Amino acid sequence: MAAKSSSPKSKKSKKKQANDNREFVAEAEEILERMFEDLLDLQEQRHGADEVDPDLVNRIFRSAHSLKGLAGMFGLDGIGEVAHHLEDILDGLRLGRLSVDSPAIALLDDGVSLLAKLTTGLDRSDASSTENAQATQAFIAQIEQAIQAPSPRISDELDELQIDPSLLRALTEYEEHRLRENIRRGRHITLVDSIFEIANFEEGLSELSGAVREVGEVVSILPSPGDVPESQIRFSLLVATEIDSDQLRDRLDYPNTTVQSVQREADSKDRSEDEAGAEPKSANPEGGDTASDTGPEAPDIGSLRSISDTVRVDVRKLDELMNLVGELVIQRNAIAGLATRLSTGAHTARIGAELTKTDKMLDRKLKELQSSVLDVRMVPLRQIFEKLSRVVRRLSRDLTKEVELDFKGADTELDKCIVEQLVDPLVHIVRNALDHALEPQEEREAAGKPGKGVIRIEAFQRGNHVVIEVEDDGRGMNLEAIRAKALASGLIGEDETLSRGEILNLVFEPGLSTAEGVSSTSGRGVGMDIVRSNLAEMGGMVDLATVEGRGTTVTITLPITLAIIKALFVRVGPERFAIPLNSVLETMALPPDEIGHSEGREIMNLRGEPLLLRRLCEEFEIVGAGRDENQFVVVLGMGEQRLGLLVDRLEGQQDAVIKPIKGPVQKIKGISGATELGDGTAILVIDVSAIVGDAVRRREAA
Amino acid sequence: MQRILIVEDSATMRSLLASSLEELEIPVKIVEAESGFEALRFLPRDEFDLVVTDINMPDINGLELVSFIRNNEKYAKIPLVIVSTEGSERDRDKGLGLGADAYLVKPFDPEIFREVVADLLAGRREER
Repeated sequence: MAAKSSSPKSKKSKKKQANDNREFVAEAEEILERMFEDLLDLQEQRHGADEVDPDLVNRIFRSAHSLKGLAGMFGLDGIGEVAHHLEDILDGLRLGRLSVDSPAIALLDDGVSLLAKLTTGLDRSDASSTENAQATQAFIAQIEQAIQAPSPRISDELDELQIDPSLLRALTEYEEHRLRENIRRGRHITLVDSIFEIANFEEGLSELSGAVREVGEVVSILPSPGDVPESQIRFSLLVATEIDSDQLRDRLDYPNTTVQSVQREADSKDRSEDEAGAEPKSANPEGGDTASDTGPEAPDIGSLRSISDTVRVDVRKLDELMNLVGELVIQRNAIAGLATRLSTGAHTARIGAELTKTDKMLDRKLKELQSSVLDVRMVPLRQIFEKLSRVVRRLSRDLTKEVELDFKGADTELDKCIVEQLVDPLVHIVRNALDHALEPQEEREAAGKPGKGVIRIEAFQRGNHVVIEVEDDGRGMNLEAIRAKALASGLIGEDETLSRGEILNLVFEPGLSTAEGVSSTSGRGVGMDIVRSNLAEMGGMVDLATVEGRGTTVTITLPITLAIIKALFVRVGPERFAIPLNSVLETMALPPDEIGHSEGREIMNLRGEPLLLRRLCEEFEIVGAGRDENQFVVVLGMGEQRLGLLVDRLEGQQDAVIKPIKGPVQKIKGISGATELGDGTAILVIDVSAIVGDAVRRREAA
Repeated sequence: MQRILIVEDSATMRSLLASSLEELEIPVKIVEAESGFEALRFLPRDEFDLVVTDINMPDINGLELVSFIRNNEKYAKIPLVIVSTEGSERDRDKGLGLGADAYLVKPFDPEIFREVVADLLAGRREER
């Protein structure tokens, strides 16, 4: 296969500059703070230790590495160069080419301080830039002097291992070095193989590697394919320990786990006797590893001053600004349309091409403007957390139940309008947890739990979404009780077999969740249908997990912003609609003969799974939509549910500014708002959660 | 619609990669994973047409991810692009040796990146 590689520091990438520097500064500040902290730790470890924590060094290396890459992308050559030199030092240190006592190591602190200065300088006037450039050059000269030409050790320790070469191939240079180093120190190298459920492998994996770290080092974690079912995944951990494989096997008593030595026995014994005098010490059993577990969220040390001063702005002004940007985006789409039309005309092709070019520039700038405006609207979740803790304090007094409230991720940011709408559902969930899920003190103590219940709320960003988890250590939910209640209220049939997940999902059904019977026995379910529909309005989802007797976790997933979305435009007869792209899983053409029927409903075969189909034209009673031509199916996903929506044509994707519909037509089921096209036409935006939910309900009712 | 998975731990770099791909002339759906672990969880959920990954990441590194994808029957044919900061030659050779289709060095030129991705996506389409 053709391998392409390139490393252009092209002029093109320099175009970004000024506007984007803020973006750079934000992430660079974070990286630098972490480096400052890690260097402090490194300094402490250097005193009186012959070996520093490899994880720590590697983390600092990665920071320098990321910073270098980032600076390169933004054309900030000075910063990139300093980071590059720091990376050299750290690479030497982690690969064993430099010792901790090397004069180069002492330069790390200065280097990070210089980087901080350069980064802060980006936002100021150019007055200091010559001075900075000189400092940079002087510093680089210093480093180059300090690193003496490294001569990598040639060793073949790896030959001692009886190990699948495909595993060795996936090790980075650094991991190979750690492996060699451990063999040299006479540690036992073992392969720990374990199989996990894909849905929650991180927990199991971190438990397993935690157990290994108590007695040694995890050199590498490799996900490996193999004959496991699709819902599972196998990991191979290459580990180095003081104890031998048999002793390790005794310690690692986990299901689906095998422990196997990969060393030729005799060799490793000789070696450890050779170096017995060196008294190999265990690789930082506690200190280093816990630090790497908690990651970067240590307290501020104030080594960098925040460079942005704040201004308070009325949120209505921001809405107005947002609206204006939205209008501009629409106008831009109109220009794009014109450009395309011009390009296809024989006499106007050249003008068309030029207009297309100008339009591309405009588009780029608009995107930048859009993201800066969106950025201004972002607010941390802290304010909601504060409100929640007030609610909990009051309620815990009223109910005379003691509870410990634990927040994490208060700095996670969301669009202001989402944050506002989020308060009610969250209060609802937390109140449920306190009122129904947490048992009274005596009951908890009888069950061997601490008398004081714990509610943990954690927010974090994942891709373009923010996830909020509300976890309690209460009584959990009784699936049988939910089932019984659903049966009594006619939601499910007598002989319907439901999976665990399906039973849990019943809690979100209107008929069930308002019932009191469940809440007193199962600990959940008051008004959860309202919580779900509130969240769905914001394009969010909610999921439940519960262990009876141990507690329940409610997981909310929300898009970071609502105002501008990417949408797929589709046509049905004479009408056009927009479908938010984040709910679209895929699209494909569907010849009429591939549409099947089952119990009176149309279905199709999607890679072996039946997929329920709905025709958009029937949904909104559109006449004139083609029935016999080839149709297109848009596969929609909402949480676990799937639905294929049949349309006449796909018309591409575009940014869409969703505006609420006002006036007499505002509450049309299946429509969440409207957007405007470049030519001024208004297009209705499909409410995916309503359509999918409705279709699934109808299927269940049938 | 072509589905592309981006695996990269830096949020800024991730959005640079994503916005660069959004300018492709074909419709794409981009899924972003902020770690190798997250990528492992995302892979079975969607049928991806292409994966773009960084090398240096916490938890599992990009090479391990490439090795996993190439050795897994279900994903073996997905085109893979490594986008990594100028690193040791050995990591690059390893990446290509493990079966990555392209290796780009950061700072990458967005146009070249798009070209590589478009070629790989087109190649896959012909194969079908």
